[in-house]
Amino acid sequence: MDPLMWAAYEELCILGAAEEATTVFGEAASFCIQKQYLNCSTSQNLSTEDCHAVATRHSVSEDMSPRQLRHMQGLKDIAANPHGSSIIGGAAGQLTSSGSSNMSFYNTPSPMATQLSAVAPPPLCRNVMPNGPNLSTLNSDNSPKSTVNSTIQAPIQAPRRKFVGEGRLRKISGRLFSDSGPRRSSRLSSEASVTSNANATIVSGNGTSNSYKGGSKLGPMTFRTMTIRKGQSWANENIDGGIHNDVLDVSRLNTTSTTSCSSAAMEAKSYEQDAATLQVSEQVTSESKVITGASEILSLLRVLGEGYRLACLYKCQEALDTYLKLPQRHYNTGWVLSQVGKAHYELVDNLEADRVFSLARQIAPYSLEGMDIYSTVLYHLKEDMKLSYLAQELISTDRLAPQSWCAMGNCYSLQKDHETALKNFQRAVQLNPRFAYAHTLCGHEYVAQEDYENGIKSYQSALMVDERHYNAWYGLGMLYLRQEKFEFSEHHFRMAFQINRKSSVILTYHGTALHFLKRSEEALVVMEKAILADKKNLLPMYQKANILIGLERFDEALEVLEELKEYAPYESSVFALMGNIYKRRNMHERAMFHYGIALDLKPTATDAATIKAAIEKLYLPDELEDNM
Amino acid sequence: MSLEMAAESSEGEEEGKLSGGNQILIVDEDLRELGKKAAWSVSSCKTGNGVSSLRDDNLETYWQSDGAQPHFVNIQFQKKVRLQLVVLYVDFKLDESYTPSKISIRAGDGFHNLKEIKAVELVKPTGWLYLSLSGVDPRETFVNAFMLQIAVLSNHLNGRDTHVRQIKVYGPRPNPIPQQPFQFTSREFITYSTIR
Repeated sequence: MDPLMWAAYEELCILGAAEEATTVFGEAASFCIQKQYLNCSTSQNLSTEDCHAVATRHSVSEDMSPRQLRHMQGLKDIAANPHGSSIIGGAAGQLTSSGSSNMSFYNTPSPMATQLSAVAPPPLCRNVMPNGPNLSTLNSDNSPKSTVNSTIQAPIQAPRRKFVGEGRLRKISGRLFSDSGPRRSSRLSSEASVTSNANATIVSGNGTSNSYKGGSKLGPMTFRTMTIRKGQSWANENIDGGIHNDVLDVSRLNTTSTTSCSSAAMEAKSYEQDAATLQVSEQVTSESKVITGASEILSLLRVLGEGYRLACLYKCQEALDTYLKLPQRHYNTGWVLSQVGKAHYELVDNLEADRVFSLARQIAPYSLEGMDIYSTVLYHLKEDMKLSYLAQELISTDRLAPQSWCAMGNCYSLQKDHETALKNFQRAVQLNPRFAYAHTLCGHEYVAQEDYENGIKSYQSALMVDERHYNAWYGLGMLYLRQEKFEFSEHHFRMAFQINRKSSVILTYHGTALHFLKRSEEALVVMEKAILADKKNLLPMYQKANILIGLERFDEALEVLEELKEYAPYESSVFALMGNIYKRRNMHERAMFHYGIALDLKPTATDAATIKAAIEKLYLPDELEDNM
Repeated sequence: MSLEMAAESSEGEEEGKLSGGNQILIVDEDLRELGKKAAWSVSSCKTGNGVSSLRDDNLETYWQSDGAQPHFVNIQFQKKVRLQLVVLYVDFKLDESYTPSKISIRAGDGFHNLKEIKAVELVKPTGWLYLSLSGVDPRETFVNAFMLQIAVLSNHLNGRDTHVRQIKVYGPRPNPIPQQPFQFTSREFITYSTIR
């Protein structure tokens, strides 16, 4: 596997089939990269498609968003694109390739070239549209942040840029600029000449990003390609979302220029220059630089890759430890922080996740990666203000991203308005049918409305998209538990557990399902595991008590509940359950005492009624008592 | 809230007079509207003012009966549900002699075995009227029934037909966690109780 093909590694992680990052991003990989580089620089012609493919894979940046992919038939969609923007903050920019690299993972080089050519122009187009002024303002906004990054990265980037710049530029020049060739050369001849190699380096460093701006010079061509897409208005909308990512990319890469025009001129010039002069002269000196550059990048990718892989395997604590190994400036980027936030969420540490996600939003306010998880975190914390604010911001950032609508739906769901929440989630599904979480959330809403049929359909669609989406397995397990189809329920909880072995919640429900299947001994074993899995989760203890009551082992149940009482003195259901046990054993005073406390702790109206009814029954012991 | 209301209405059950009415509909968080899963029918109606006006969330539209008293609104569920609260919107200022005056609520399994569970008399009501179905006994907080019938026995100023602008029926929310004896109240328990 190409070590620089991050998106492919990411996809493998999601499928749960990735090797350890150290093997993929190992030292041998740096030699591999160097070999590729040498290959490319020696063969000048377009016929060596694979070399260009490698180059363009690296160089097509993250604005190859899933939205674009949707419009291309048969392209596999991967995780939301904006992660690339922070990856860029972390690593050399060109390494983030999204859809195109994915394509290359699955296709042979030659068709890929044509696909890439279809792919390459659109990024240019999208950036071209009205946001010219935007670009520069955004640039200036982001430049303070980026200068630190870019100055440090410049030495690393220098050798990489040349390599990438060339291949990319050749690709683009070969496809896009073929018509406008004559026009371009006349323009070039009239512009100020760029002489030093250093200049060309920096420029070609900016080259890829500025190729977007350079596109603005090629007005007619780009507008023509624009019409291929579904109308300019659509592209306009997308640009808001895409631009922000691009611009982050651009700003980080931009060490010097902030105005589009001058850089475009320089960049256009650089095409000619690079093609003609650079390879031969720089070949020798750049080889060693390539190795060092490559190994630095690889060491970074190693950490990121390992962290991501562990997170996908739900070994969240280890993932967190891995991410902490990153240097500060890489840790404090949008992508990494949202991965850290996700890891905290999986560990059910919602407060920490909230903190990390809000930090991520401060750093990368327009990134949508992981924001659907953030909205779920806020849902769990019942922070309706923050959640609605988040949803509004996301929608204004990008109306066409599923994450924004997921956040909005979570907002309504928190208000218990399940119908509207469902509509929002369905919108998210419509925008991206391959976004598994949107399907799962639809399923949750259907179940909340007791529409089990549609719930099953939604969860199953989620699983068709992503079999390792344990939330959907869990959802199905809960659904069948409600319908009392305990066999199915147990199976689904077991599948969820196999994906996420650390989740105490899944273990708890698995235990409950086993208990209802009358496999109570196994249930108790699983419940013990659940208790150990997460010290802060008190539910397994409660469920263990329930199981013991079912087995009529009242003393043990009382022991467990007494312990639980210490940890959760304000939980009404604990006392109510104790009251039940004492009632069963005819210890009426104790039962009364506990029911009294349970009522004081403000249970729900239903439970209050149940408890009061139980109290009434206490004084009529000759009545036949069923379980309440 | 329901239990307090039960106390109020039980004291006044003999006279059962209700007047006033809230302008805003505020219902407890742990109640949910059950009307959507029910089949609604009326004993008679004038064209254009049918049963759909009772469920359209629009206070401008009303159901107008068109026959002899008593007028009925029948609500039939597919399975036995636990009901706790019935809320009606009537307005004496707008409807005057069409405003219901005596209302009886019956529940049962079907038309054949309806039993009266609540009777109220209204005195110039304007707004939402909350009719709790709970009895005094905590064991009677909910009414388990397949069918509910709201009967308008007489109107203000001896009007023949009646106007009712909106009716909503509430019951308790089910436990979000299935197969559990009690619901959780503390935040920590609730957070760990589901995966979203």
